[in-house]
Amino acid sequence: MGGENSLEPDSRDFLLGLCQLAVVVAFFALALSFWHFQIGEHTRFLEMAANNHQRRLALRAPRGAVFDRDGRVLVENRYSLNVSLIRERVADVDVALTRLAAVTGVTPAAARAAVDSAGNVPAHRPVVVIRDASLDQVAAVAARRLELPGVVIEQLPTRHYPSGSLAAHSFGHVGEVTGRQLRELGDERLRGGSIVGQSGIEQEYNDLLMGDDGVRNVAVNSVGREVETIGEIPPDEGRQLQLTLDYDLQRAVEDAFESEGYAGAAVALDPRSGEVLAMVSLPAYDPNDFVLGIDAATWSSLNTNSLRPLQNRALQGRYPPGSVFKIVMAAAALEEGIVDPNFSVNCRGGATFYRRRYRCHANHGIVTMDEALEKSCNAYFYTLGAMLDVDVINRWAARFGLGVLSGIDLPHEAKGLVPSRAWKRARFDEPWYPGETISVAIGQGAVSVTPISLAVMMATVANGGTRVVPRLLKAVRDGGRWREVTAPPPAVFDTLAPETVETLRRGLWMVVNRQGTGGRARIEGRDVIGKSGTAQVVSLSRRASAGDETADYRDHGWFVFAAPREDPEIAGVVFAEHSDHEYLAAPIARHIVQTFFAKKEGLPLPVLPEQTAMVDDQ
Amino acid sequence: MIDRRLVPHVDWGLLGVIVLLSGVGLVMIYSATYEPTTGAVGPQVARQFVTLALGMVALVVCLTIDYRVLADNAVLIYAGLAACLVYTLVWGAEAGGAQRWIDLGPVNFQPSEFAKLVIALVLAVYYTGVRLGTSRPGDWVVGGALVAIPFLLIARQPDLGTAFSLLPVCLAIMIFAGLKLRVLATLVLLGALLTPIVWTFGLEDYQKTRVASFLDPEQDPRGAGYQQIQARITVGSGGLTGKGFLRGTQSQYNFLPVAHNDFIFSVLAEEQGFVGVLVALGLYLFVIIRCLDAARLARDRVGMFLVVGITVGFTFQVIYNVTMSAGLAPVKGLTLPLMSYGGSSVIATLMGFGLILNVRMRRFTN
Repeated sequence: MGGENSLEPDSRDFLLGLCQLAVVVAFFALALSFWHFQIGEHTRFLEMAANNHQRRLALRAPRGAVFDRDGRVLVENRYSLNVSLIRERVADVDVALTRLAAVTGVTPAAARAAVDSAGNVPAHRPVVVIRDASLDQVAAVAARRLELPGVVIEQLPTRHYPSGSLAAHSFGHVGEVTGRQLRELGDERLRGGSIVGQSGIEQEYNDLLMGDDGVRNVAVNSVGREVETIGEIPPDEGRQLQLTLDYDLQRAVEDAFESEGYAGAAVALDPRSGEVLAMVSLPAYDPNDFVLGIDAATWSSLNTNSLRPLQNRALQGRYPPGSVFKIVMAAAALEEGIVDPNFSVNCRGGATFYRRRYRCHANHGIVTMDEALEKSCNAYFYTLGAMLDVDVINRWAARFGLGVLSGIDLPHEAKGLVPSRAWKRARFDEPWYPGETISVAIGQGAVSVTPISLAVMMATVANGGTRVVPRLLKAVRDGGRWREVTAPPPAVFDTLAPETVETLRRGLWMVVNRQGTGGRARIEGRDVIGKSGTAQVVSLSRRASAGDETADYRDHGWFVFAAPREDPEIAGVVFAEHSDHEYLAAPIARHIVQTFFAKKEGLPLPVLPEQTAMVDDQ
Repeated sequence: MIDRRLVPHVDWGLLGVIVLLSGVGLVMIYSATYEPTTGAVGPQVARQFVTLALGMVALVVCLTIDYRVLADNAVLIYAGLAACLVYTLVWGAEAGGAQRWIDLGPVNFQPSEFAKLVIALVLAVYYTGVRLGTSRPGDWVVGGALVAIPFLLIARQPDLGTAFSLLPVCLAIMIFAGLKLRVLATLVLLGALLTPIVWTFGLEDYQKTRVASFLDPEQDPRGAGYQQIQARITVGSGGLTGKGFLRGTQSQYNFLPVAHNDFIFSVLAEEQGFVGVLVALGLYLFVIIRCLDAARLARDRVGMFLVVGITVGFTFQVIYNVTMSAGLAPVKGLTLPLMSYGGSSVIATLMGFGLILNVRMRRFTN
């Protein structure tokens, strides 16, 4: 066998050389291919690799909590659990949804609808199937996580209002940012899906309350399970706010309304500073319904409800002030020097001006100013109306906060109206007729006011002439401590003549503590001052012709109040919707004042008289 | 047992690079089976280590026995292989829709992995008997038939990848034995004509899907094309210097399927980058060139044919696997010799190198 191989060494060596050359060429081609992928297209593939395994998860920042003036929690955050589906990780979305629906007890159609509404959310981002899932649902999903690939539980900080509808209009509600808000707020913290305040404090102080969302970069493996956290920017919680509201007082006011059975509004202020101690608008809504997106049925019922629960009556309701306006008339007449407190009018059940008879509700005989306030004598104030120009009345009304914005730190405040010549000209292109001033003098005609503006008026009377700006924000959490916010400067910083203040206080004291219409607000030893008023829903003649007594035509009752008579510490207004009789708003004011002083002096808070009265009736 | 005088003639350089590549493979298997969350390493690392040790023993055994003794018993060995393949088809263990293994209790034995060696041996012996320059068509038919039997038995398992890897071995030996270009062209033409028939009748659905997805991987990114795309991402994202050991996101987070096996070279490319790729390719190139040198040095035709057959089989598999690991070839169950995880394949590869070293070592003996 030896030597066989040497027969054709040339051919053999040629072939082997060819083979070696071919291998070198092949390897060179391979190296070129790797060069192309690893160097030429490296950036593109690196990005694809990152897309494969990296996920950016937004960490929603909790909004700042809100406390009352005593540090009691009014608004906080809870963690809601969402069951979500990452569509990219399932082969068949319908099968996955059917299985998920069976496990959690929701209908497959609802689950399908939730996913369909996700629209153009990328397939690798979770889509919420069950919002705010129950613990049972979460447990069921967790127990079957192997059968439910792509299903994840997301934990979201969610606004929570522990007292339900209490002070709902002051707190407001939150919701997903709208496209318009995104443009108008121009806040870099905002992105699609961010939660922002949509009304109330939540809207007014959204800037402070809103936190800065964080982000977590995670690595996921090929089946989408989070393997590790690559980097994390923790969310920055929003600022905590302390409000001027007093939870106990707020609760007392709402209880009193409920006990009396009225819708309406009430505002209680510290007349010295303008701090809002309580602000009520009823009926209210539950802001918790909005925190995760309100469902269509609730939204539609809130909007179609004839009692309009979404409206903040205290700021947006405009009603004729009726007899309450007489306070402004009295002050204007005294301050203008047209009359002195002893000026008297002989009431014979009415009076005639400009050849027309204006009625009073009783034959009061000769009354001075304080008695006129006490008995709410129309004839007396008709007379003042005949002596004052409407523009002067308008100016003095504004001096007390009527017909102008109070400037409270809440959005959407409405402005009342106190007529003037200019207004009449602009509105109707007509001159002002002096006879119209007679109606204005008793708070009728075109006069309309908001409850908050009447509270400001009463605070102005109470503090001797300073028109304070009501405010709800007391302090902001700064680092570890509360930083008091500086109070806004008063809208009018001036004093009334001591004689004017004294006359008003005496007249209003008599309303409550003599034979006036405010007797139901009397509290022994508290020297409550106040004045009732009727906001006519329709004129007396139309009411008669309507012929029925349905709630829609019953008048609204006003009661403005302050206490104690000298240097009051609380002033406010109660507006009892369709209470029919003006004096029926007074018991609510009484409960407010009583609660305020009981709390201040550390006494047990008063129990509503309604409960004892009901026992008596039976 | 081994003639002491032969020891200096062992190609220590080649052996060293073989051991080096096996070591690199072991490290890459460590990385591919590493679980980043727990820090645990797959059991494959220890198993591969044991297999490599056994393989080295097998290598030494193949080195020790004079290849001419093996050549004298080629028919017996060939019959043994055929018997094992038949046994596998009838009683073999099944996994993943294929019947490729013989269950030997603690380990499985995959006869098809040894087919290349046996084919190389039997063809080397057969064509040694054919006088050069006197080849008749009948010689090619007999040689073809010798390959066809194991080819069909393996293709039936089905294991098309391994079956096709026999063809380069066969063709290489035939060419070295004097196969004329005319005949070669005929064979290639025949193969081309047979392709549609094989496509229609010979391929399982999954095999068709694999080929189709190779032609257009983006068409079905979650399906069969997925592996191709992921392979390219893995390689491409590695860049020049790689992401670092145990830092390859594609392999660590299991985006790359069977990373420790078919795609071990992708893992290397991702973690060690283009630099690592060049080094590994260089080592493989060294091995192949060195083996072809051994063929040149072989003292007889049977030795030369044997070395050429084994080397070409090895080369074909390396090139195919590396091409596939860059997502440039359809995914076949073809491992990367010396680096991929495996049992029978590792041992067969090392035995092959044992035979090559054997031929080279005995180039001066009679």
